[in-house]
Amino acid sequence: MAGRARVRARGFTRSPSASEVGYLQASPSPESADLRDNEASSSSGFEDTSRISQQHVVSSGYAECALMKRGGKTFPDVMDLGVCTREKFAHVRDSKTGSSGIPVKLVTNLFSLDLPQDWKLYQYHVTYMPDLESRSMRIALLYSQKELSSKAKAFDGAILFLSEKLEEKVTELSSETRRGETVKLTITLTGELPASSPVCIQVFNIIFKKILKKLSMYQIGRNFYKPSEPVEIPQHKLSLWPGFAISVSYFENKLLFSANVSYKVLRNETVLEFMTALCYQTGMSSFTQMCEKQLVGLIVLTRYNNRTYRVDDIDWSVKPTHSFQKRDGSEITYVDYYKQQYDITLSDLHQPMLVSLLKSKRNDVEARMVHLIPELCFLTGLTSQATSDFQLMKAVAEETRLSPQGRQQRLARLADDIQRNKDARFELETWGLHFGCQMSLTGRVVPSEKILMRDHICQPVSAADWSKDIRSCKVLSAQSLSKWLIICSSRAESMIEHFLSCLRRVGSSMGFNVDYPKILKVQESTAAFFGALQKHVDPDVQLVMCILPSTQQNYYESIKKYLSSDCPVPSQCVLVRTLSKQGMMMSIATKIAMQMTCKLGGELWAVEIPLKSLMVVGIDVCKDAFNKGMVVVGFVASINLRITRWFSRCILQRTTTEIADCLKVFMIGALNKWYEYNHGLPARIIVYRDGVGNGQLQTLLEYEVPQLLSSVTEASSNASSKLSVIVVRKRCMPRFFVEQNRALQNPPLGTVVDSEATRPEWYDFYLVSQAACRGTVNPTYYNVIYDDNGLKPDHMQRLTFKLCHLYYNWPGLVSIPAPCQYAHKLTFLVAQSIHKEPSLELANSLFYL
Amino acid sequence: MAQSNNKEGHGVVDGHLDLPVKKVINFSPPLYRQRYSFVNDLVNQHKPKKVADLGCGNASLIQMIKSHSCLELIVGVDINKDKIGSQRCRLSPFSGEYLSPRDLNLSIILYHGSAVERDSRLLGFDLVTCIELIEHLDSEDLARFPEVVFGYLSPAMVVISTPNSDFNPLFPAVTMRDSDHKFEWNRKQFQTWASGVADFYNYSVEFTGVGEPPEGAGNVGYCTQIGVFRKTGAPATEPCVAEQSGQHVYKIVYSVSYPSLQQKEIRKLAVANEVSRQVQSLRQRYVSSLRILRRGDGDGHRASDPGLVPFSGPVFTELEKRKIEKSPEPFRFGNKLYVPLERLLAYPKVNRLCDSVDTMRALIADSVRLSRDGSAVKVDLREASP
Repeated sequence: MAGRARVRARGFTRSPSASEVGYLQASPSPESADLRDNEASSSSGFEDTSRISQQHVVSSGYAECALMKRGGKTFPDVMDLGVCTREKFAHVRDSKTGSSGIPVKLVTNLFSLDLPQDWKLYQYHVTYMPDLESRSMRIALLYSQKELSSKAKAFDGAILFLSEKLEEKVTELSSETRRGETVKLTITLTGELPASSPVCIQVFNIIFKKILKKLSMYQIGRNFYKPSEPVEIPQHKLSLWPGFAISVSYFENKLLFSANVSYKVLRNETVLEFMTALCYQTGMSSFTQMCEKQLVGLIVLTRYNNRTYRVDDIDWSVKPTHSFQKRDGSEITYVDYYKQQYDITLSDLHQPMLVSLLKSKRNDVEARMVHLIPELCFLTGLTSQATSDFQLMKAVAEETRLSPQGRQQRLARLADDIQRNKDARFELETWGLHFGCQMSLTGRVVPSEKILMRDHICQPVSAADWSKDIRSCKVLSAQSLSKWLIICSSRAESMIEHFLSCLRRVGSSMGFNVDYPKILKVQESTAAFFGALQKHVDPDVQLVMCILPSTQQNYYESIKKYLSSDCPVPSQCVLVRTLSKQGMMMSIATKIAMQMTCKLGGELWAVEIPLKSLMVVGIDVCKDAFNKGMVVVGFVASINLRITRWFSRCILQRTTTEIADCLKVFMIGALNKWYEYNHGLPARIIVYRDGVGNGQLQTLLEYEVPQLLSSVTEASSNASSKLSVIVVRKRCMPRFFVEQNRALQNPPLGTVVDSEATRPEWYDFYLVSQAACRGTVNPTYYNVIYDDNGLKPDHMQRLTFKLCHLYYNWPGLVSIPAPCQYAHKLTFLVAQSIHKEPSLELANSLFYL
Repeated sequence: MAQSNNKEGHGVVDGHLDLPVKKVINFSPPLYRQRYSFVNDLVNQHKPKKVADLGCGNASLIQMIKSHSCLELIVGVDINKDKIGSQRCRLSPFSGEYLSPRDLNLSIILYHGSAVERDSRLLGFDLVTCIELIEHLDSEDLARFPEVVFGYLSPAMVVISTPNSDFNPLFPAVTMRDSDHKFEWNRKQFQTWASGVADFYNYSVEFTGVGEPPEGAGNVGYCTQIGVFRKTGAPATEPCVAEQSGQHVYKIVYSVSYPSLQQKEIRKLAVANEVSRQVQSLRQRYVSSLRILRRGDGDGHRASDPGLVPFSGPVFTELEKRKIEKSPEPFRFGNKLYVPLERLLAYPKVNRLCDSVDTMRALIADSVRLSRDGSAVKVDLREASP
């Protein structure tokens, strides 16, 4: 494992470099454990139906999506549902299923929801005479109506949904408020919706939220957790709550309920405890300063009323024994207030106060300032310091990682609870829903791929990792490394000779010739490393290797920043600790040699691509770590027929959405580069777009696809290249398992699912292209949103699978097509470390590996 | 104290001078909150274990008082089923209540039923509150009410609040305050009724109220009048079980129990958390003392200068300090720091959770690393992360 890989592995779980592949699934990805989620309070303030809009619905279909808007906020998942792309593709209109491979029976995490044949949802609009402002009053008046009391209903104050039609199209009712006023309610039918309509899906989701609450689960954000069965990690002061992410959606021909195991991470540490620890750690002199630096901006959870506050300041002059003015004007000390109000006795009467500014809901009122007692505030969310703590993340992963069998047990229990609970059953029945059984479907395992080396074709034993299979093979092409530098501290000097001999040995067996470098010994400081770079790196230097004394970010960042943009030279960073690992030197050297080969523009291996003249492109978008208003767009395109050489561009874009602007420039650049190498233009271009948020499909179609199309048509006056655009999603609800020896296991590599769990309105499929040694594998979801190429679905699926073999940082399959993985790696480097555009001079090599 | 808002003055309509518009009275905090605070203060004062709120509505009173550590059972009863249901999710424990659990078990149960029906599950309570309830009862129910609440339930204390109609002339509308009110009593009417009931069932009663009239309003009394009834003589013995099983007429709408240290699993977690916290802080202190020694500068001395210290860390009483000082010190062996369980037991926060070294050992054994003989917690002194 390369030291740099280890450096990156901390605080980062997406890239399947050596250290992470096994750990990819296992790692608490945001889906399986909401680690970065600061939202600790439940959204209990929300009435269940509040998410349904206040606008009218008259028709079904895409127009309905407008109704999901509430106060300008749109419901993303539902937005995408209205984008029907498949109907435009003639070649997949009848069938989008592939044919190759061996059929495999798969168990899913989907449960069928059955409805009577002619089931409809009736939507009514409710008006009040005289009009009532208060939503709770509106709801209370409607719910008190005898006519409606026995019916299944969902109401948000304006729109009422019923599963049974009222006798009249317009129903007039009257009711009395507590003050004795008579209010006339007019209930008008505005729509009859089939179960597949997006609005119904929304209502079903609301129904299931109610049901999970009835199973005494606790809603945090959009998921549901069981606080009664916590997993504690006392050494890291964490509590994990097991729970589920659930959703109801309309799949190929049925309504299905899907559930995924999820964990909520809670911190079992008060601000006071945190301060005390910090005080010992930093000493008194810099304590106040450090404390403010660490705490200001954090979200804390107050234990007595379950609210969350942002810490805006710390007031060192106010103590709990001081008095404040209550709303009625009387004065009371904080100590007495908490004693009287909440029966809480404060133990530390000298603690300072946290200050939080409450934003008023009404704009005209000035923000109110509140003082919070550190002892009564829990920290929430994991700091970046915590997520980069390897031990901590390992402990979390160990608890949250579930085998397919363990997952199945949790799912079965949930299904059982829903079916057995009286209230839950009643709720389902009144709506006419029947909670059915867990769904199985048939997928296919597509044929495995051969790996093409320079003078050897190898059929790997396992597609998950072929490092052993290619150990004695030569890579496709490698530039000799003759002029290069190593910068290290004197502490690392002793291990360098041994490392170099290993590196040269593995290099020669790979066909990568490594000459002896110039070694510079410097002091252990960022400045010393940086000074050596400035003094000794000139354009003739092919590569700089830095042996870093610690994982401190500033070493890595300043080196990468300088060598990627100010003075563009490929660089390789390795930790001293990595090189001091005895007995692993050969595998470490192999890994480093491969990365160095790529950084010099070499090619490691290829797979057979039957399509001639095909360019594949990967696009990823990632938010800048420091600058919230910036996003980083990465674009990586293949520039040769074998798909082994890449052109990589990256730009920082000032925007709040993850939609790319600069694709035209990038695409034209890539086509020019292709022309340079191949003396023509590619016949086909297939773009894989990663990093698309929910609800952005329409924008992608309207904004990004035209950019790509226009650059393609402008590039050639006659027959232009055919373009396809595929949206890649690593996060999706379905999970697939195979049953073996009466236990569930992860599906084999290359499993494709293109029926039943897919959507009727899209040309989509799932592909399992990654191995999870522990934990459960996530399938990757592909949605073809634009397709001029007209490849058969089978070919599209297999091509995608082939591309998952070509990520040179890992000799094995990765979860997404290589160009996407490269684009991701590039954007991540820029967003985390460089924060500016890398030099164009490096665009022809994979300098960011 | 009530305040009048700015609607005071003379409206001019069609050139004629209109009559002075009556002041609109606003209470701050709102009157309903004042009533709840009154109950909250009573709970604070008398520390009841079991409290029942008859006519609990959406259970906001329960929500307000539930944080009191003395409470073990809170029951709410209301005749309106929809209303009880509406806010019940707010009664479920907060995440904070799992992170720092209460000492005693607490259950909250909401029943659908009438305050004038007997249900044996409400027997043996320390406090029964009827906030703005009686004025909603018709004459028949009102007649049955004392017999059920005072005669049958017979709790140690009863609180009854009801509107004071002496106050009503201060409101713009002179009729009743709510359309569902069957009556609104003046002070004399309420006090006569209450004293009669108290005498009959052997209770004493005190009258008070919330919502003071605005200045210059004259002797109208509180906006809400309150009677606090206390059982006189020896508290009655708990009713026998046979009688209890008899009458279950209320329907359970909602029930929840809170995590508490009385539950073994929760206690285990709490002890493990507190012990690791204490060990971590001792380790931290040990490491930084080494650093100060190594540096040999005055940083350590400065820390004890009170003028400069904005923050002091945990505070102990003299007694606690002495106890800690007397207990065996943490010691180092190789790369490990050993913190004797006896030392940990000296810290009040740990001591609160377990009374002896043996109980502590049993509670933490499967979550914290102990020394071989089980007398100390073992922790690595090397930095886990840079």
